[in-house]
Amino acid sequence: MTRALRIAIPAIVIAAAVLIPFVSGPYPLAVARSVLIYMALALSWDILLRSGQISFGIAGFFGIGAYAAALAVLKTSMSPVLSILGAGLVAGVVAFLLGFVILRLRAVYFSITTLALAEIFRVIIQNGGDFTGGPEGLVLPKLIFNGEAKALYWMALATVLLACMVSMIFQRSKLRFALTAIRNNELSARSSGIHIFKYLMIAFVASSFLQGVIGGIQLQGYGFASPDSVFDSYYTLLPLAMALLGGIYSTPGPILGAILLGVAAEYLKLKIPYGHLVVYGIIIVLVILLMPQGLFGLYRKRMKARASDGERAPGAERASGAEVRHG
Amino acid sequence: MTGPSLEKDSIVTDVSRSRLRRSLLWGTLGAVVVVALLLWKPTALIYGVQRAGLYAAVAIPMALVLGIVHIVNLAHGEFMMVAAYLAYFAARLLGLDPFIALVPVAVVMAVFGLVVYLLTIKHTLKAPELNQLILTFGLGIALSQTVNLMFTSQSWKLSLNYVTASATVGDLSFGVFDFVYAGVAIILAVGLKLFLTRTRFGKAALAVGQNPRGAAIVGINVDRTYAIVFALAVGLVGAVGSVFLTKQAIFPLVGGPYTMKSFCLVAMAGVGNIVGVLFCSLALGLSESIINSIRGYAGWSNIVFFAIIIGTILVRSFRERKA
Repeated sequence: MTRALRIAIPAIVIAAAVLIPFVSGPYPLAVARSVLIYMALALSWDILLRSGQISFGIAGFFGIGAYAAALAVLKTSMSPVLSILGAGLVAGVVAFLLGFVILRLRAVYFSITTLALAEIFRVIIQNGGDFTGGPEGLVLPKLIFNGEAKALYWMALATVLLACMVSMIFQRSKLRFALTAIRNNELSARSSGIHIFKYLMIAFVASSFLQGVIGGIQLQGYGFASPDSVFDSYYTLLPLAMALLGGIYSTPGPILGAILLGVAAEYLKLKIPYGHLVVYGIIIVLVILLMPQGLFGLYRKRMKARASDGERAPGAERASGAEVRHG
Repeated sequence: MTGPSLEKDSIVTDVSRSRLRRSLLWGTLGAVVVVALLLWKPTALIYGVQRAGLYAAVAIPMALVLGIVHIVNLAHGEFMMVAAYLAYFAARLLGLDPFIALVPVAVVMAVFGLVVYLLTIKHTLKAPELNQLILTFGLGIALSQTVNLMFTSQSWKLSLNYVTASATVGDLSFGVFDFVYAGVAIILAVGLKLFLTRTRFGKAALAVGQNPRGAAIVGINVDRTYAIVFALAVGLVGAVGSVFLTKQAIFPLVGGPYTMKSFCLVAMAGVGNIVGVLFCSLALGLSESIINSIRGYAGWSNIVFFAIIIGTILVRSFRERKA
C-alpha cells in the first residue's frame, strides 16, 4: 500500500461515516449508531489485549460509566456532555485502584477476575438502594441533544474516533514495543528493563477509561440504565467477537470486525429473535481454529508474502521483519 | 553421601510438618465456625452444606480437566446445562427418573465431549493460552445459544415428589433432599481420587498432568489420555447435570454462573487438588448462606462469594510468585 492510499482510505472512510446521517433513514442510522458503540468497545478491548491480558470485564466498566453518567446528571445536574467525560474518569479511577491488585494476576486468573468484577459491580449497583435506583435502574428526564438522531450518531462516531486515536497512540509509540514484549515473554521483557506493571496499568486504565466513556454515551443516548441492561454480557461478548474476527492487535481489525458482525447481527436479530447470538459463539470458535490472526491479520500476511515474492530488495526484507513484530 | 540425603529428608519432614500444622489450623478454625453456626443459625449451616454440595459437584469435573489437560474449559457450565436438558427430555418423553437417566446422559455427554475435544480443543493445545480461553468461551456461547434457539429462554422444571422430603429435628424443620448434591460431590471426589491413584490409566493421566513430555517419553499415549480425560470430565458433569435437574429450574443460561464458580473453586483449592474442592465449596457455601440468612442482605451473597474468591486467588498468586 502506498503512502497516499494509507492516508486516503481512512480519510474517505471517516468522511463517508460523517455523511451517513444525510443519506440514510432513521432505522439504518440507529443500527449504525449501535455498531459504532460496539466498535469503540472492541477497539478499547484490543488495547489491553496487546499486553496479553484478556479482559472479560468490558461490560463492568461500561456499566460503571453508564451509571456514573446517570448519577452525575441526576444528582449533581452536571451537563450531559461533561457527564460523559466524568463517566470515563470514574471508570479510569476504578481501574487504576483495582489495577494495583488485579494486574498482578496473569492469564486465566486475570480473565476470571475481570469477569467476576463485572458481576460485583452489578451486585453493588443492584443493592445500592435509592441512590442507584436498585434493580429498576435510573431514567433520565431528557436525552442529550434532545434525542436528535443525527447528533447522537455523530457523538458515537466521535467516540469511535477517540478510541481509534488512543489505539493508534498505543500502536505508534514505544508503548507498543513494551506491550508486545510483555505479551511475548514477560521474563525477557523484564530483563530488558521494561517496567511491566507500569505499562500494564497504562493499558488497563486507558482501556477502562474508554469503556467508561462509551457507557456514558450509551446512557445519554438511550436515557436509561438498569443493572441488567448495562452489565449485560452482550457488551463483553460482541466486542470480543468483533475484534477477533477483524483481527486483534491492530486498529483496523476491530473496526472491520464491528462493521461485518454488527450489520450481520442486526439482520439476524430480525430473522431469529431468540438465539441469534449462537452465530457469535460459532464465529469465535471458527476464527480461533481457522484464522486466529483475523481478517486484517490475513490481509497483512498476504501483503507480506507479496512483498517478499516480488522484489528481493533489502527494503522488502526489512519491511517483513517489522511485520513480524506486529505479532 | 549420607549428609545431603539426610538434609533432604529433614527438608521433606519440615514441609510436611508445616503442611500438617496448616491443615490443623484450618481444620480447627472450620470446626469452630461449624459449631458456632450450629448454635447460632442451624438453618444457615444446613443450607450452606447443601449449597456447597452443588458447587462442589459441578466443580470437581473441572478440577479434573484443569489438573490434567490444563485447559480452562469456560464451556463447563454449558455442558452441564445441555446434560440437564437431555435429562429433561428423558424424563418427559421416556418417563425416566433423573437418577436413572444420569447413566445414559453421562454416556451421551462423554461422547459429545470427545467429539468437541477432537474437533476443537485438540487443535489449540499448542496455541497460546489466549486462544484456548477464547475458544472455550465461544463454545459455551454456541452451546447456550443453540439451546436458546431450539427451546427458547423459558425455564423448565420437573416436579418430582421426593424432592420435598423434609426432616424435623427439635423445633427445626428443613428439606433434606439437597444433601444429595453433597453426596454426589463426595462420591465424585473420592471416586476420582481412587481412580487417579489406584488404576493404571489414572496413574498415567496423573503423569501426563505433571509433565506431558516426560509421560510421552516413558510411553504413555498423551493425545489419547487428554481425549479420554476430557470426555470423562464432560460425562461426569453430564451426570451432575442430570442430578441438577431434580430440583432446579433449567434455562439456556443456567450454566454460566457455574462455570465461573467452578473455576474459582478450583483455583482456590489449587490446580490438581480434587479433594480440596470439597472444603473450598464448604467454606463458600457456608459464607453465602450466612449472608443470606441475615435479613435484608440476601442480595449481597453473590458479592461475598466473589470477594472471597478474588482474595484467595490473589493470596495464592502472591505465594506462587514468592516461591
